[in-house]
Amino acid sequence: MNVWLQLLDTAGALLVLVGAAISLLGVIGMLRLPDVLSRSHAATKPQTLGMILVLAGVALRLRSGMDLATLGLIAFFQMLTGPVASHLVARSAYRTGQIDHGELLFDELDEQLTDGK
Amino acid sequence: MSRFLRFSFRDADLPPLSCRIGRRGRVLDLPLIAWLTLIWVLLWSTFNLANIITGVIVAAAVCLAFPLPPVDLGLRLHPWGILRLAGYLLYDMYTSGVKVTRQIFAGVPHRAAVIGVPLRCRSDLMLAAVAVAVSNVPGGSVIEMRRATATVFLHVLDADRPEELEAARRQVWRLEELTVRAFGTADEIARVAEPPPPPQLTAGRPAP
Repeated sequence: MNVWLQLLDTAGALLVLVGAAISLLGVIGMLRLPDVLSRSHAATKPQTLGMILVLAGVALRLRSGMDLATLGLIAFFQMLTGPVASHLVARSAYRTGQIDHGELLFDELDEQLTDGK
Repeated sequence: MSRFLRFSFRDADLPPLSCRIGRRGRVLDLPLIAWLTLIWVLLWSTFNLANIITGVIVAAAVCLAFPLPPVDLGLRLHPWGILRLAGYLLYDMYTSGVKVTRQIFAGVPHRAAVIGVPLRCRSDLMLAAVAVAVSNVPGGSVIEMRRATATVFLHVLDADRPEELEAARRQVWRLEELTVRAFGTADEIARVAEPPPPPQLTAGRPAP
């Protein structure tokens, strides 16, 4: 029995470590990528994955019903609000001309905006 | 009591699953109150009667203080569809984390592009849900959402390969179908069961 608990603790610690490492990768990506839109990829995706892994690790160590539900709530709101924030950053960056259009291969949104539709 | 608090199954004038306070008072949405109460109980991390009662009171007070327009959102919950969507999202989040990491450390910078993907669903809630789902997976981050034409505009990191663009589009349509099958009305589900819009609307131009 004790061995199993220890195993769960170790697995939880590992998950927390991996999650934190993935979040770190996201930060490195933000520093390395060239413009706002690319950086928003790096800022949101690895970070969400890292967050969920950290939560899973914490869940393995806590192991009590109500705490698990709270962790689930955190994950739910994280997945719900993260995209909204990144979308607003991307949208305002695009609309205020922070995008280097020469860097883009092509842009189907620009055509629609300039059409005035 | 029956004068003060009237439930929708007694009164046909009210929208489904709601109750009215007072003779001409506010209409409260019962599922919304149940959801707010659930969050309240989860935030306190203790499941007992006192928490539930205070939760209901706080939820009702919030709904009274900040009333939402009484509209039918078109939200239906399909448990099997939600499970499939959650499983697919988790798997996709893993692959997208790996993919973005690989792109970060790839020596050669990729050429990015902005593509428009026309969707098949039409309700506001479904459009928003699809946008949130798409943001969580590889392929693109949402820049803009056009409600009139139900088009979502994505920023794709590695657009210099045509098959990547095609994959990004297929991904959006796949997620759209899963999302609507999890939360949509029967009408919307019938709409996403059809094949995606023809490609001439969407075809990305070849690289210059």
